Amino acid sequence: MKWPRFRALRLQQRMVLLFVTLLMTVQLASFYFIRVAIEEIASQTLREELQVGARVFRRLLDQNSQQLVEATSVLTYDFGFREAIATRDRDTILSALRNHASRIRASGMAVVGLDGRVVADTMDEAQTGGAYAFPDLVVQAESQGRASGMRVVGGKPYQVIVVPIRAPLPIAWVAMSFVIDDASARDLKTLASSDVTFIEVSGGAPRVLATTLEPGPRAALERSAAAVIATSAEGSRLMLGGEDTEVLATPIERKGTGNLYSVLQRPVAAGLEPFRALQLVLVLLACLSLAVTALVANRLARRLALPLARLAKAAGEVAKGRYDVAVQANEPARDEIDELALAFRGMTKGLAERDKVRDVLGKVASAAVADELMRGTVELGGEEREATVMFTDIRNFTSLCETLRPQESLALLNDFLTVISEVVEQYRGVVDKYTGDGAMAVFGAPVAEPGDAQRAVEAALEIRRRVLALGPSLAARGLPHPEIGIGLNTARVIAGNIGSSSRLNYTVLGDGVNLASRFEGLTKRYRVPIVVGELTQRGCTGVIFRELDKVRVRGRVEPVRIFEPLQLARDATTRAGRALDTWHAALADYRERRWDRARGLFERLEHEPGYERLAEIYLGYLADVAARQPGPEWDAAFTLFEK
Amino acid sequence: MRAARFPLIALFAVGGVLAASLEVTVRDERGNPVENAVAYATPKGAPAPAGPKRTAAIEQIDKTFVPHVTVVQAGTTVQFPNRDPIRHHVYSFSPAKSFEIKLYAGTPPTPVLFDKPGEVVLGCNIHDNMLAFVLVVETPYFAKTPREGIARLEQLPAGEYDVHVWHPALAAPVPARTVRLRADETAPFPAAVTLKAQPARAPAR
Ligand SMILES: [Cu+2]
Repeated sequence: MKWPRFRALRLQQRMVLLFVTLLMTVQLASFYFIRVAIEEIASQTLREELQVGARVFRRLLDQNSQQLVEATSVLTYDFGFREAIATRDRDTILSALRNHASRIRASGMAVVGLDGRVVADTMDEAQTGGAYAFPDLVVQAESQGRASGMRVVGGKPYQVIVVPIRAPLPIAWVAMSFVIDDASARDLKTLASSDVTFIEVSGGAPRVLATTLEPGPRAALERSAAAVIATSAEGSRLMLGGEDTEVLATPIERKGTGNLYSVLQRPVAAGLEPFRALQLVLVLLACLSLAVTALVANRLARRLALPLARLAKAAGEVAKGRYDVAVQANEPARDEIDELALAFRGMTKGLAERDKVRDVLGKVASAAVADELMRGTVELGGEEREATVMFTDIRNFTSLCETLRPQESLALLNDFLTVISEVVEQYRGVVDKYTGDGAMAVFGAPVAEPGDAQRAVEAALEIRRRVLALGPSLAARGLPHPEIGIGLNTARVIAGNIGSSSRLNYTVLGDGVNLASRFEGLTKRYRVPIVVGELTQRGCTGVIFRELDKVRVRGRVEPVRIFEPLQLARDATTRAGRALDTWHAALADYRERRWDRARGLFERLEHEPGYERLAEIYLGYLADVAARQPGPEWDAAFTLFEK
Repeated sequence: MRAARFPLIALFAVGGVLAASLEVTVRDERGNPVENAVAYATPKGAPAPAGPKRTAAIEQIDKTFVPHVTVVQAGTTVQFPNRDPIRHHVYSFSPAKSFEIKLYAGTPPTPVLFDKPGEVVLGCNIHDNMLAFVLVVETPYFAKTPREGIARLEQLPAGEYDVHVWHPALAAPVPARTVRLRADETAPFPAAVTLKAQPARAPAR
């Protein structure tokens, strides 16, 4: 009871699992590819943005330096400043420099003579009289009137501006220095919308000079700075402070002792930000479709699995022999499940019937009987009904078998019985039993059918014809001509099952049956193949009968007329008809006590073929009545004493 | 008596009768004539006499000093008449003459005395583009080249001179050369100079 249910659930679950897995696979694949594409695009976009950012950043630095140049230039045109420089008094100059540097918030200011020697330097007074540290800037200022460059002084980057002091021709150079520290990097960050780092590469390991990064990422960047700078053109990926970061290095100065690079950093996550919403929508859609699929698949699987489970359960019942299981199905079938259920229903019914048939057939011989039993029309115990009973007997079978070996005799007997069975069944009779070298058959029982007498007679004629037809092959084996005796009687009989409940025999009983057997026996006396009773004769049409006699069976008052069916009327010959008329006329004369006339006719028939024996019998009767002179109670009946 | 002869000779010389001339042709390295070059000759062995010209003027016209280059003998006073309707503030931080005439219009009442030899660069504090040069020399024998590039030094008494050539944009000082002049001679003096590329100038404001 438990396992079919479990199996069904498993099928259901498996189907749901299959659908969901399929969909999930497709969705995961598409999600993966979309994600890859998105990340590709985002990465590309980020990289391009960073490159644009780098260009903007460079421009920013340029503008910044431009502004500083302008500011410095304006400052150097200050007349008082020029006057102070013209004093050539070092202390005055130094204090003027400090004053002016603080005016534009420069980190330091120096005056360099036209000879390239430092006149005064606020950042390092010891420099006085020495050669200026960045002569290249002075050279640039000489040719362009101004110079600006990023220079590292004492481990710090400075934007250094060199402009001439004009009076009105250059009389000296002013070098203004603006430090670039983390604070100025942060200012740049807001403008460049990227993290900004300044890195110096001078022989040794790259050094971060200023950055907007926290100490952790700053150290990480410093470590990989060499690689970052090596791929400066395209940009590279770095893990900075646990965050995937796109990094782009741009050289800003290649003069002086070391190379300066600006490095822009932007977290990849920021680049992916716009795609997050898209991914979220994709995930939501995927979840929704998964849920719908699971639901639909579950319903579908349930619709499929539940009837299957019911069918399996029913099949289990059937296996145990219970055929009365109910299987639900739409009729007519709406789908394959219904078809299966209906087929199952039909199969169960078929199985039940076959079982019943097997049950019945074990007990009775005939399929017709089994049919009748299955239809429930034949009751165990029997019923009274009219039927025609046939007894057949192979004439002189024992003497026929004398020259044969037992197997051959049996084969021969089977030949005859086969013929009889075939013909009986052909005429819808039932072979009730085999009786040694003959058989008993019933027409009209267990299946009542009109015309059973007619069919019985026709069957008898056919049996005889086919037995005669066996003659030539028997003659070839040196055997005598076969003859058969058939007795037919139509009567009310008891039809039913006789025996124990484990082994039943369907048969017919009654005087009428005995009488048929008697009639079969009479065929020998009258030397005719077939003897039928009066009721049988009356139940026939289209058959030419020859009345044989009127017999009184012992224990019965009423004598019975017996007949011999000669042939079907359509096969009749006129010559045979004339002899038959004579016969019947003779028979009438005999019964009407016109015995002399009867004798004359019988004597005439004595040499007619087929009438010899009959004529002989009746001439015997005539001799008997002539001797006895019977009284008026004489009814011309012949009393059967045997048996 | 001997002492009285010298002034006589000098008188002669001044009178042009026995004087020599020096024709200084200034060309640049490409052979083009150089304008605004100054040639001056200092007599050797004797101090140069004071020249007759003791004053000069540098005007300001259309925010420009005119002339651009002026040569004066030491001890000359220079006027700075302002011909513009706006004021100027002329100054010099040059060691030879450092001065300043604060915003003024017209001609300042006091001219400026250039008493030391040397190069004086003049500017205007409110017009960065204004630029002028005054070369103060210790000889009355000097001349400035016009566009043709030829400076004529006249009325030079015969004798030995150190001839100097100067220009505001000299890339390097031109070494003086000694010439001996005879009376009544017009001596050619070719001079090749190398000039700096256009001197760096602040953009006009
Ligand atoms: Cu002015």
